[in-house]
Amino acid sequence: MTDIGADRGFRLEASFLGFEAVLALHGEVDMSSASELRERLDWAIDQGHRFVVLDVGDLDFMDGSGLRVIGSAANRLLLSGGALTIRSPSPFFRRLLDIVRIGDLVRVERPIAATDDADTATDHRLPVKAVSAASTGLSGFLKRVAAVPSDDDVVNSALRLVVALAQATVGGADGVSISLRRHGVLATVAASDQTIMAMDAGQYETGEGPCVDASVQGRRFYADVLNTEARWPAFTPKALALGISSILSSPLEAGTTSIGALNIYSRTPAAFAVRDQHLASLFAREASVILSDARADVTDQEFDDRMGQALRTRELISQAQGVIMHRDGIGEDLAYTRLRRMSLEGGRLLRERAQEVVDAARHRADAADLLRELDHE
Amino acid sequence: MSESPIDVLDGYRLDAQLSNGELWLRYFELGGMSTGLELEAFLLGFLQPTIHDHDVIAHALNERFFEMGGNHPVPYLEDTERV
Repeated sequence: MTDIGADRGFRLEASFLGFEAVLALHGEVDMSSASELRERLDWAIDQGHRFVVLDVGDLDFMDGSGLRVIGSAANRLLLSGGALTIRSPSPFFRRLLDIVRIGDLVRVERPIAATDDADTATDHRLPVKAVSAASTGLSGFLKRVAAVPSDDDVVNSALRLVVALAQATVGGADGVSISLRRHGVLATVAASDQTIMAMDAGQYETGEGPCVDASVQGRRFYADVLNTEARWPAFTPKALALGISSILSSPLEAGTTSIGALNIYSRTPAAFAVRDQHLASLFAREASVILSDARADVTDQEFDDRMGQALRTRELISQAQGVIMHRDGIGEDLAYTRLRRMSLEGGRLLRERAQEVVDAARHRADAADLLRELDHE
Repeated sequence: MSESPIDVLDGYRLDAQLSNGELWLRYFELGGMSTGLELEAFLLGFLQPTIHDHDVIAHALNERFFEMGGNHPVPYLEDTERV
């Protein structure tokens, strides 16, 4: 059992048994503590714990960076045949997992002594316990929710078409694939055959290869003669074993962000002439456009910014609601309605009115503190 | 819920020149708790939102009209009740 202290009251206790690791989270997970959570999770998974339980029963707050960490860990575990379990989430936390589509990736386990009392609808807006997400990520999940819905089948068909066209057009191409980074993990979304799938998988496993580098660095990588290739010592033997002699990976981009790669494999050394490399770039751009449309043309960064702002506003409104509920002794929906009326009557946006309500409450609280201090003196 | 047919909301969305995704983000920002898919179902009348949910959607639309220099034309359901 280890105990790790961190800033802003975040604390993590870990225990390990066989394939299972249980991480109990306490306090707040924000951007700074999320990186620690990520490290601990990665470490546990690297150690071979394929079944990870995150106990969030004592968690006060988790922002978007924390949710992103959960999403990417869940993905890693699923890929390795394991699973991530969320233990004792509040109803709001569970709902948020569903909203951001992490709910599909994790198992949810209720505490042994849980009662249904916790499920009443009122507790999810209590400001202190509200789980909000901030700015660092979630894009994959949230984008699917927020994007103009695109038919996955249409996207997949279009990508398969790009693969087929690239294979038919680029000289020397024996196989083509498209890798997409989702939640920090590369995955093949279209490939011409099983060998090519295996080639991609070999790169994901070793964490190296032209596909990985093109995806991360956003520029073209050409391994013209794999026999003499020194850049990817772990991956290259796997490629040679499958009879591949040259690989050309062109980056896929959404806005300024690199989101994956289009990979062309050949059994012939130095298979791709300059013309073929240009053609490959064209096909990569085509695939980027298809994927960008599917993502509603919002880049990760832009989306993260918008989402971060939305979540901050939510929290502000929730706080203002809490103030009004407390002040007027009313329920949350009614408090929301009053807040909305106040904003309409004042010709202001809801978030502006919410800010005024919260500021005024803070001033009152400060004044009350001051009075108390004066009383003591 | 009186006579307000819910798919009227989708007409307002089109007038407000908001995509479904953009409206969802605004609705979420104002405290909405339904997914993008559920929101679309509300807009088109396939699902019935709660009064509160309806009014959050209405307000998201009204704020958009407000930003565009207009009034707030989308009626609220809650206003017909207590408060």
